[in-house]
Amino acid sequence: MNNQSQYKSRVLPWIFLMPTLLVLLVFLYYPAWQSIILGLFRSNLFLGTRQFIGLENFKNLFTGPLAPAYYQVFLQTLVFSVLVIFPGLLISLILAAMTSSLGSEGKVYRILLIWPYALSPAVAGTIFSFMFNPETGAVNTILRSFTPFSPRWLDHPILAFLLVVCGCIWKNLGYNIVFYLASLQNVPKANYEAAELDGAGMITRFFRITMPLVSPVTYFLIFTNLSYALFEAFALVDLLTRGGPVGAAPLDNAGLTTFLIYKVFQDGFGGSSNMGFAAAQSVVLMVLVALITVFQFKVGEKRVHYGGAAS
Amino acid sequence: MKRLLSAILMSLLAVSLFAGGQSEEKQVSSQSMENETEVKEIQFWYAFSDDKRSGWIKGLAEEWNASQSEYKIIAEPKGSYRETLQASVLASRQGVAPHLVHIFEVGSQLALDSGIFEPIGNVGTFDTSDYIEPVLNYYTLDGTVNSIPFNSSSPILYTNRDMMKQAGLDPSNPPRTFEEILAACEQAKAAGVENAGLGFNVHGWFFEQWLAQQGAPIVNNGNGRDGRATETMLDSTESKKIFGFIKELNDKGFYKYTGKLEDWGGSDAIFQEGQVMFHITSTADLGNITSAINGRFEMGTGMLPIPGDSDRNGVVIGGASVWLTKGHPMDEMEAARDFILFLTNTDNMIDWHKMTGYYPVRNSSVDKLENDGWFAEAPTRTIAFTQLLETVPNQATAGGVMGTFGDTRTIVEEAIQKILNGADVDAAAEEAKKLADLKLIEYNKNF
Repeated sequence: MNNQSQYKSRVLPWIFLMPTLLVLLVFLYYPAWQSIILGLFRSNLFLGTRQFIGLENFKNLFTGPLAPAYYQVFLQTLVFSVLVIFPGLLISLILAAMTSSLGSEGKVYRILLIWPYALSPAVAGTIFSFMFNPETGAVNTILRSFTPFSPRWLDHPILAFLLVVCGCIWKNLGYNIVFYLASLQNVPKANYEAAELDGAGMITRFFRITMPLVSPVTYFLIFTNLSYALFEAFALVDLLTRGGPVGAAPLDNAGLTTFLIYKVFQDGFGGSSNMGFAAAQSVVLMVLVALITVFQFKVGEKRVHYGGAAS
Repeated sequence: MKRLLSAILMSLLAVSLFAGGQSEEKQVSSQSMENETEVKEIQFWYAFSDDKRSGWIKGLAEEWNASQSEYKIIAEPKGSYRETLQASVLASRQGVAPHLVHIFEVGSQLALDSGIFEPIGNVGTFDTSDYIEPVLNYYTLDGTVNSIPFNSSSPILYTNRDMMKQAGLDPSNPPRTFEEILAACEQAKAAGVENAGLGFNVHGWFFEQWLAQQGAPIVNNGNGRDGRATETMLDSTESKKIFGFIKELNDKGFYKYTGKLEDWGGSDAIFQEGQVMFHITSTADLGNITSAINGRFEMGTGMLPIPGDSDRNGVVIGGASVWLTKGHPMDEMEAARDFILFLTNTDNMIDWHKMTGYYPVRNSSVDKLENDGWFAEAPTRTIAFTQLLETVPNQATAGGVMGTFGDTRTIVEEAIQKILNGADVDAAAEEAKKLADLKLIEYNKNF
């Protein structure tokens, strides 16, 4: 951090930072500050009311009759994130490794694998909702023609949950694969050749060479995927299930695919628009992300294998 | 330090997602500031984004603009009902409210409480006697007409006449009660009809209609019309009867829906594809469903089936009305009012009805349609009128009024979904009441 000496004046770096800081101030700090303040008020979007109620909104999140729903949503978000991140990354890495080993002939596959990333989440959600409509969707029409099954994709609690998980994984495959492909190109071929000579099979090579050598990228992707799962699953949820279906007890306090961010939207903009309550939730979400980020920087960097003196 | 900073940054990003949505909505209205020239512009925000209905409104706005030179109606779709109301409230706080806003029936109390609207009954004198009574009643509180009814509908039973014949049922005598629906489905199933069953999307609106049919209010204080509602009646006997019917239907395998809440289009598709013998949806979809079926089977209609042991009180009017916002010069408000009266005049309402299936909201339109022989020409449409005109005017059929109607709907829908997943009817009804009351109490604390 001794780069400061490159600037003669202490003011100059601040001038360079100004544009960024201004943008951050207007679009991040100020709205964030407003959200924190709003969380302390009883505030209704339609009525424009603002009554200071201290921490009551936060209290209502964690105790009282509204709390079970919030806890359920919290738990669901956790399970959902884990299911989106780890299987998603594993599938991405396997696909990336497979196409990567094809060399230049794998070009077509690579393009096909990356394209879901180019779709907007709204389009992806619409495609899924058409395909999986239990009565008229393509998937069930095909299934019905040669099996007796016609699964209720959108209202069976487990199926709906898994469908949203699969949709999210699929939608983000392209993004993950791009990173893995780039990373795999930096894995020295010699490692594989040496391992092959030692009699290591394909699977051993994947787990012993590929996985450790791409671990810095994996580490990075875990966190980008986490923020994807926390925030960007919104559109898919909105279009596929609108947060539903409500599960069976004890998971009957909220829709099974209602995740933290979707609940913020439901409480703030749905129904009678209780903005204060929604703002309190977004503050909780903010604290959560802050903790995760601290974890990412503090703990993570020590444990990831960066391959020593590579380049 | 750097780590801490980026931690803060990331977390702010999280929050701004929420706050960002807010500022976006505020921008919506900023464009209407310009053009204060000789022609006075009158903004009309409505909630139809489909070409058919949106085009119809725009066409009439042009016609009205051409009829005089002092005012110009600028009609713009603003997304869903909810989005339109939100945009209007936010625009109004910035002093750029549209003159006219199209608001759905359950948003009435919210609109009233937002304080941005002027009851249209206070703007000059005009005649409302031609508007159909149960329709106008919904939008009248304390004797003042708040808004002009525009698109009005109620739910009816749609039948697949071919399947009914196949089942040995009389297609011209569709089931009128819950019990008859169940019996008809049993009979059809026994006769080997493959898709014997009833479909409707999980929507609080149907539940509200079934309460009104039984003469039961949805909230206390005269259905919220004698005073601000403080409690919902979701655990009443009448309410449990509705939940019980849905449970029985589902347990016997006769209930069909797409799995999504409020999925109008999905449920229509199930019926149109012949996947179900009976269907319940709004009269407003008559036009669309008829053309979607396109002669693949013969469609019939019937009155909304109700519990067999109940009197038929009639339907609550659904749909939306047009409200006038405060704070404009009187001449503009009168011009805005006149445009809405023009939009809902006898001939325009006939045209509107023929195109969509919404009720024409004027008695004169109904008379004219009758004289022109429209009901003989389109027999499926008659039911809707009978159902509406036979409605007994009381507080139940006038419709409930509460600020948290949207929340209550969602809670009812989730209760239905719980029941479809096997929950106990009594427990689900009581749980729903508890949650809906909580929202209502929280909302009322704003005052």
